[in-house]
Amino acid sequence: MLTGWRDFDDTLRTLDLMQRRFDRAFEGWEQPRPRARHATRAVWPLTNVFETKEAFLVKAEVPGLAEGDVSVTVEEDSLVVRGERKIEVPEGYRVHLRERAPVAFTRKLPLPGRIDADAVSATLSEGVLTVTLPKAKEALPRQISVKTSKESQS
Amino acid sequence: MSDVTTTPHRNGTAPARAYRRRAAGPPVDVFENADELLIVADVPGVRDDGIDLRVENDTLTLAARRPEPTAAEPPALVREYDEVDFVATFRIPAGVDAAGITAETRSGTLVVHLPKAAAAKSRKIVVRPRSGD
Repeated sequence: MLTGWRDFDDTLRTLDLMQRRFDRAFEGWEQPRPRARHATRAVWPLTNVFETKEAFLVKAEVPGLAEGDVSVTVEEDSLVVRGERKIEVPEGYRVHLRERAPVAFTRKLPLPGRIDADAVSATLSEGVLTVTLPKAKEALPRQISVKTSKESQS
Repeated sequence: MSDVTTTPHRNGTAPARAYRRRAAGPPVDVFENADELLIVADVPGVRDDGIDLRVENDTLTLAARRPEPTAAEPPALVREYDEVDFVATFRIPAGVDAAGITAETRSGTLVVHLPKAAAAKSRKIVVRPRSGD
């Protein structure tokens, strides 16, 4: 009886071994696994740019960043967002899982249009950075009043 | 999560949540010390009132929803990310005091404290030689 079970175990072991050998033989054939949304990215933070009548809005998700951790500047024809997200293990804790990546970043985004660089403002709330780039006065649509010229009146 | 799908318009009243976004699992850190387990999740764009944290049996369910847009969103020139809602479930290990679970938000992250039950905290066992040996 006991020997029977042992044989059964042995069969499983052999199958397992064969599986391992096959796995090794086909190593490298595997398709790369699809990356999770939170996989470490070369580009961080990701940004969305919106256009309203008066301004361009640049939004970026920077969870965990406080006001002092991020700087926003307009340099020539670029909007530059710099900062560092430090993710530290709290004192005295041990780690079970770490998916939140620490990152030091610089993102240089071309300005989406002519803007008033002096009026640029930025806010940070709930981990979302919103930069408002008001459009330059010359770039705003202007109403041209149409007058009837005297000559054409008859 | 029975309410994940779009609720149809019913009885002439606006449904509680007609607007749904795609949901994704947030990146999560899990830490532990002698007194508690600590879960930290990135949930950018979610206000405190958008967070729904539930404990049922040994499961902790997190749903974090962004506020519904108040007006039509302006057209996007560049879209590198989708504004997703966040959902995650965690199995609560034995030895956690489920009634004592607390949570707070810190600039787009959610921090959940799961205190250990007194009985589950590690104790130092004093080893003494048996008298007479």
